[in-house]
Amino acid sequence: MKESIMLLVILLPVISGILVPLLPFKKRRHMEIFLEIVVVINSLLVWGILLEFPEESFTLARFTGNLTISFRVDGMTMVFAGLVSALWPFATLYAFEYMTREERERSFFAFYTMTYGVTLGIALAGNMLTMYFFYELLTLVTVPLVMHTLSREAILASRTYLYYSLGGAAFAFISLIFLTIYGSTTDFILGGALDLERVGERTNTLLLVYVMAFLGFGVKAAICPFNSWLPKAGVAPTPVTALLHAVAVVKSGAFAILRLTYFSFGTDFLEGTWAQSVVMAITMFTIVYGCSRAVKETHLKRRLAYSTISNLSYILFGAALMSPAGMVGALTHMVFHAVMKIASFFCAGAVMHQTDRHYVHELNGLGYKMPWVFGVFTLSALALMGVPGLAGFVSKWNLALAAVESGNPLSYGGIVCLLISALLTAVYMLTIVVRAFFPGKDFDDRAVSEIRDPGWKMVVPLVVFSAFIVVFGLYSSPFVEFFQKVANGIY
Amino acid sequence: MDFIQNFPFFSIMLSMFSGTVCSVLPRRAARWVNTLMISLIGVLSFVLLSYLVVRGESYVYMMGHFPAPWGNEIRAGILEAGTALFFCVIMLLSMLGGRKKLQEEVVESKHNMYYILVNLLLSSLLALVYTNDLFTAYVFVEINTIAACGLIMIRQNGRTIEAAVRYMIMSLLGSGLLLLGICMLYDLTGHLLMSNIQAAVQGILEDGTYEVPLLVTITLMSVGLAIKSALFPFHAWLPDAYGYSTVSSAAILSSLVSKGYIFLLIKIIYRVIGYNVFGNSHIIDVLFVFGLMGMIFGSLNAIQENDIRRMIAFSSVAQIGYIYMGIGMGTGVGMTASVFHILSHAATKSLLFIAAIGLTDVSGGSRHFIDLTGAAYRNKWAGVAFTVGSLSMVGVPMFSGFISKLLFAQAAVQNHVKMLPALIVLAISTILNAIYFMKTVIRIYTPEEGSEYESVTFKNMKTYAVTLVCFILLNVLLGVSSQPIVDLIEQGLSMFA
Amino acid sequence: MSYFVLLPILFPILSGIFLLVRKEMKNRQSLLITVGAALVITTVLAITAMLTVRDEIFLVFNLTRTLPVLFKIDGVGVIFGIVGIIVFVCAGSFGFEYMKHEEHEKRYYGFYLIVFGILMALCFAGNLVTFYLFFELLTLSSMPLVLHTGSKEAVMAGLKYLFYSLCGAYMVLFGFYFINRYANTLSFSEGSVLNPELAAGHASLLLGAAFVMIMGFSVKAGMFPMHAWLTAAHPAAPAPASAVLSAVIVKAGVLGIIRVVYYLFGASFLQGTWVQSVWMTLALITVFMGSLLAYREPVLKKRLAYSTVSQISYILFGLAVMDPDALTGGMLHVICHSLVKAVLFLCAGAIIYKTGKTRADELRGIGKEMPVLLWCYTVASLGLVGIPPTGGFVSKWYLAAGALSSGIPGFFWIGPAVLLISALLTAGYLLPITISGFFPGEDFDYGGLKKREPGVLMTLPIALLTALSVLAGLFPNVLTDFIARLAADIL
Repeated sequence: MKESIMLLVILLPVISGILVPLLPFKKRRHMEIFLEIVVVINSLLVWGILLEFPEESFTLARFTGNLTISFRVDGMTMVFAGLVSALWPFATLYAFEYMTREERERSFFAFYTMTYGVTLGIALAGNMLTMYFFYELLTLVTVPLVMHTLSREAILASRTYLYYSLGGAAFAFISLIFLTIYGSTTDFILGGALDLERVGERTNTLLLVYVMAFLGFGVKAAICPFNSWLPKAGVAPTPVTALLHAVAVVKSGAFAILRLTYFSFGTDFLEGTWAQSVVMAITMFTIVYGCSRAVKETHLKRRLAYSTISNLSYILFGAALMSPAGMVGALTHMVFHAVMKIASFFCAGAVMHQTDRHYVHELNGLGYKMPWVFGVFTLSALALMGVPGLAGFVSKWNLALAAVESGNPLSYGGIVCLLISALLTAVYMLTIVVRAFFPGKDFDDRAVSEIRDPGWKMVVPLVVFSAFIVVFGLYSSPFVEFFQKVANGIY
Repeated sequence: MDFIQNFPFFSIMLSMFSGTVCSVLPRRAARWVNTLMISLIGVLSFVLLSYLVVRGESYVYMMGHFPAPWGNEIRAGILEAGTALFFCVIMLLSMLGGRKKLQEEVVESKHNMYYILVNLLLSSLLALVYTNDLFTAYVFVEINTIAACGLIMIRQNGRTIEAAVRYMIMSLLGSGLLLLGICMLYDLTGHLLMSNIQAAVQGILEDGTYEVPLLVTITLMSVGLAIKSALFPFHAWLPDAYGYSTVSSAAILSSLVSKGYIFLLIKIIYRVIGYNVFGNSHIIDVLFVFGLMGMIFGSLNAIQENDIRRMIAFSSVAQIGYIYMGIGMGTGVGMTASVFHILSHAATKSLLFIAAIGLTDVSGGSRHFIDLTGAAYRNKWAGVAFTVGSLSMVGVPMFSGFISKLLFAQAAVQNHVKMLPALIVLAISTILNAIYFMKTVIRIYTPEEGSEYESVTFKNMKTYAVTLVCFILLNVLLGVSSQPIVDLIEQGLSMFA
Repeated sequence: MSYFVLLPILFPILSGIFLLVRKEMKNRQSLLITVGAALVITTVLAITAMLTVRDEIFLVFNLTRTLPVLFKIDGVGVIFGIVGIIVFVCAGSFGFEYMKHEEHEKRYYGFYLIVFGILMALCFAGNLVTFYLFFELLTLSSMPLVLHTGSKEAVMAGLKYLFYSLCGAYMVLFGFYFINRYANTLSFSEGSVLNPELAAGHASLLLGAAFVMIMGFSVKAGMFPMHAWLTAAHPAAPAPASAVLSAVIVKAGVLGIIRVVYYLFGASFLQGTWVQSVWMTLALITVFMGSLLAYREPVLKKRLAYSTVSQISYILFGLAVMDPDALTGGMLHVICHSLVKAVLFLCAGAIIYKTGKTRADELRGIGKEMPVLLWCYTVASLGLVGIPPTGGFVSKWYLAAGALSSGIPGFFWIGPAVLLISALLTAGYLLPITISGFFPGEDFDYGGLKKREPGVLMTLPIALLTALSVLAGLFPNVLTDFIARLAADIL
C-alpha cells in the first residue's frame, strides 16, 4: 500500500497536468485553485512518504533481464523529494501572479505541473534505469516550458537545451550499460554496486565510463563546457527559470551524479584514481568559470543563471570529493542553494514583472521603490556570498571541511576556487544591490516613481524563502546531522 | 509431416497468386484481395511461429521430388517465421496508412499495377526469408529489385524516374556482385544448397586450399548485399528513392526491402559461410567501420536536410549503419541486437514516413520545414505519431529504439577492442538523432498564428489514424516487453547455426 | 550577568536599523539627539561591560555544532574597544555639524551606528567564528559609509573597498578551514590552540594557512600589495567617516592578525619561519612606500590615507617581530595612530567644510583663518612623526627597541632604519601644511583672509582627541604597563 503511494505522487501531478488543458475551467481562478490543491496534496503525500517511509522497493515494470522500473525511498530521496515538494507549492503560487502577463497559461501550467511528477520520479527512482528514464522524460516535459514564449530566441534556446540534455543522457546511458554488465545490481546501494571481481583488469575502462557519465549527467548540472544551454534557457518565464533551472532540473543532474558516484560506482572504486582528479578539476574550473561569466553578464536573469552554473559545481565538487563528508557538503549545498537561488530568481522575476526591466544597469534606484523585493534580493546575495549566519556559509563550510579532511592537494585547490567564486559572487550580486540602493547623485527619481512591490502571491514566497535562508544559516545543525546520517547510510 | 510445415510455401505462393489475380480484378476488389492476402499470410506466419516455438527446432521442406543436394529447399525456423510475420504486419500497416495518398498520387489506371507489385515484393521477400538455396535467393533478389523499382516509379514524375534509374543501377551492381559471389562459391564447393555449401566450406578450410578465393567470395557477397541495403558509402540512391516515391512505397522500401537483404546477409553468414569463418575474415571489421561511419554521416546528412521526407530517408542510412555495426561486432549478442534493430527500425521508420505524410498534407503538400510550422496542431494524430517515432529514434525508454540501443551497447561492452568506438559513436549518433528529430518535433509543435492551411479531424482520416495508433502500439510493445522477443531472436539465431 | 556583553553590541546595531527603516525625521534636531543618545548609551554600556564581565565567556548560540558564536572581553579587546569608542564618539559629534552639507543623513547615521556595534562585537569576539562573522559584517555595513556621497568616484571606491575586503575575508576563511581541522578549539587563548598530534607532519600546510590568514587580515590593514583600496575608499567617504575608517576600521585587520598570530597559531609556531620573514619584508616595504606616496600626493585626504597605509604597517611590523617590546610598541601605536589619524582626518574635513579646499598646496595661510584647528593638526602631526613628548614617540621607541633586541638576522637593523626614514618622510608630508598655514610667505595676500574657525561641535572633538594623544605621550606608563603585561602574557 505504502509502496504504491510512491507511484501515486508521480502520477498525480502528471495526470493533473494533462487534465489542465482538457478540463473546462470557467475562470482562471478555478484553474489556480485546482492546481494549487493538487500541488499541495501531492507535497503532503510526499512528506507523508518521507516521514513514514516504506522499506520495500516497488517494481512497476520489467524491461529486458534485470532492468526494471522500480522505486524506493532512501536518504537521498528524502533530501531531494523533500526539497522539491517543499518548494513547489510556493513556486506555483508565484507563477499564478507572474503568468498573468504571459499567454497560453493552460499549456504552461500543464507542463509545469507534470514536471513536478517527473522530478519526483527522479528522486524516487530505485535504480539506474528508472532514473535514466525519468531523466529523459524531464528533458521532454521541460522543453515546452523553455519555448513557452515562442520567440525565435526561445525556440533556439529550447533546441539547445534539448540537444545538450539528450546528448548528455546518451553518454550517461553508457554507464547504465556497464552497470548492467559489471555491477552486481543496478539498484542504488550506498558504497556502490560494482562487482570488483568482474571488473578485473578493465578498471581503466570503467573509470573512463565514469568520467563520461559524470559529464553526461553533468550536462543537466551545467558543467563546463556543457553549460551554454542554461543561460540561454533564461528566456523562459521566471517561474521556470527559478524553479527548474535553479532547482528541479539542474539539481536532478547533480542528484544523478551523486547517485552515480556514491551509489552505483562507489567511492571505494573511484577514490584516488585519475577519474576523481579529472572530474574534480572540471568542477573546479566550472566554479570559477561560471562566476566570471556572471560578472561579465549584464542581463539580470542570465547573470543569475551563470551564478547557478558555478554553484551547481559546488555540489559536484562535493560529489567529486568522494567521502561521506563530501556528500554531506554536496547535499547541504543542494538544499541550501536551492532556497537561495530560487529567492534571487523570484526577485529578478518580480522586477521584470513589475517594471519590465531586464538588464542590470536598468535597476538604478529601484531598491527604495521595491523594498521587499530588493530586501530579499540583498539577503540572498549575502547568503550566496557565504556571509556567516546565512545559509550559504554553512554549505560552503561543509564543503570546505570535507575538502580539507580529504587531504588531497587538488581539493585544497578546490577550496581556493570556492573562495574565488565567493569573491566573484560578491562582485556580481552586490553591484546590483548597490545600484538599487545607491543610484548615484544625478539619479532622477521620477523615472521610478510609478514602481511598486508586487502583490502578495509573489511576496509571500519571497518572505518564506528568506526565512528559510536565515533559519538554515542559524540553525543548520539538525539539517546537517540529517545529511550526515544519509551520507553514512543510516537512512 | 505436419500440415503446418507447408505454410512457408503457401505464403510465397499465395502472395504470387494474389498478384496475378489483382491484375484482372476491379480496383477496389484488388485492394481488398491485397489486404486480405497480406493479413492471411500474416496469420499463417503466426501459426507457423507458434508451431516452431512449441516444436523447438527448425525443419527443411523439400520443394519437388529431388532430394538434396540437387533439389530446391525451404527452411523454416523461429527467426524466419517471426520475420515473415513482422514483414506482413509492417506491410499491411504501411499499405493502410498510405492508401489515401496512393489514390491521390498515382494514376488510377496504375492502381492494380501497384497491388501486383506489392504482392510480388512480398512473395520475393518471403522467399528470401525462407529459402535454403542460394540460387533461389538470387532469383528472388532480382524479382525484389524489379518490384521495388516499380514501386518507386509508380508515382510518375521526373524525380521518381531518375530515382528509380539510380536505384536500378546501384541495385544491379549489388546483385551482380552477389551473383559473382554465388558463382565463385559454386565453383569452390559445387553446391547451391546452403547446408551443403557450409559443409564444403568447412572442408576447404581444413584442407587449407582456396583460402583467397573464399575470402574474395565472402567480400563479393557482403559488398553486394551492402550496396543493396544502402550501407554507407553506397547509399547515394536512397534519399531520392525514399524521398519522392509515394509514401507506402517509401515505408515499404525503407522498412522491408533493405531489411530483406540484410536478413539474407545474416543468413549467408550463419548458414553458408559459417559464423566463425566469417568472423575471422576481417570483412566483419570492414562492415563494422562502415556501419559506424554510416551512423555518423547519415545523421549529418539528415541534419543538413530541409525536406522532411529526405531527412527521414537519410536517417535510414544511419539506422542501417547501426545494424551493420551490430553484425560487425562479431558476437552473438551483437547479432541479436542487429536483428532486433531490424524489427525496431522497421516499425519506427514506417511510422515516421506515414506520420510525415500526414504533416505535409496539412501544410499545403510542402515538405519544407518552414511550412511545417504548427503542423502537429493541424493534424494531431500525425503529430503525436511523429513525436513517438522521433523519441524512439532518439532512444527514450519505453520505446523500441531504446531497447535496440541498449542491446547494441551491451553487445559493445563484450567486445573489448570494438567497445570504445562503438559506444562513443552510439552516443554521438544519439545526439545527432536528437538534433534533427527533435528539431522537427519542436518545429511542428510551434504554433503558427493565422495559418492558411486547414486542419483535419479524426473523421476525415479514420484508416490513417487507426494505422498510426497501431504503429505506436507496435513501437511501445517492442519497447516495453522486449524480453520475449529478444528470447525468440536468440532461439532463432541458435537454430540458424 | 555575562549576557551584558551583548548590550553594547546589540544596542547600536538595533538603533541603527531603527534609524534606517523609519521614515525621514521632520527636523534634524531629533535625529541628532537620537544619534547622540545612542552613542552615549553605547559608550556607557560598553564600559560597564568591560568592567563587569571581563574574561567571562558568553555563548550566544551554535552556528553549527562545531561553530559556537561566543563573546569574551579580554585585554586586547579592551584596548581596541576603548580606542574605538573614543574615535566613534568624537567623529560622531564632529559629524553633527559636518554632515549638514551632505544628503541622506539618516542613512549615514544608521550605518554609522551599525558599524559601531559591529566593531564592538569584533573587539569582544571570543573565537574565530565570531570574529570572522563580524569581520564580514563590518565590511558590508561600512561600505555604505564609503559610497555615501553617491558620486561616481565614491561608488567605485566603495565597490573597490568591498571587493578587496571580501577578498581578504575569504583568504582568512581559507586559513580558517585548515586551522579548524588541526586545532583543539577555535576560541582565542594565549598561546597556541593547535593540536600537536593532529598537526604533526602538517607544519608546512599550517604555515601556509597562517600566512594566508595574515595576508587576508592585512588587506583590511592596507598592507602592500593589497593596499590600493584604502587610498581610494578613505578619501571618498565624508570626513567623519574617513576618520572612523582610517583610525578604527583598519585596526580590525590588525586585531585579526593579533588574534590569529598570538591567540591561535601561537607566536612560537611562527617564529623564525618564512612566514615571519615575508611578513616583515612586506610590512617594511609598505611602511616606506606609503610614506613616499604620501609625500608625493597633493590632495590632503589622499595624503592622509597613504599615511595610514604606512603607519598601519608600523604596527604590523611590530607584530611580525614577535618580541614583547615590539608587540607593546605595536599596540601602543594602535592607540596613538587611531587618535592622531582621527584628528588629521577631522581637520581635513573641517577645512573642506569651511573652505572647500582639498589640495595641500591651497592651504597657505589657513593657520590665520582657523588657528585652533591648525594647532591641533600640528600637534597631531608631531605625534605621527614621533617627536617627544607625544604618544607616537613612545610607540615608535618600543617598536625600534623591540626590533633591535629581537636579533632577527638582517631585520633587527633594517627595520628600525626603515622606520626612521619613514618618520622623516612623515614629517616631510605633514609639516609643510603647518608651515605654509602659519607662515604663508611674503607674497601672500592677507586681505582675503577671514575668521573661519569651525563651530564648537567640530573643534571640541578634535581638541579632545589631540589632548588624548598628547596625554598618551606625557604619561605613557599607564598604558605601557598594561600593554607590556598583556604582551608578556600572550607571547
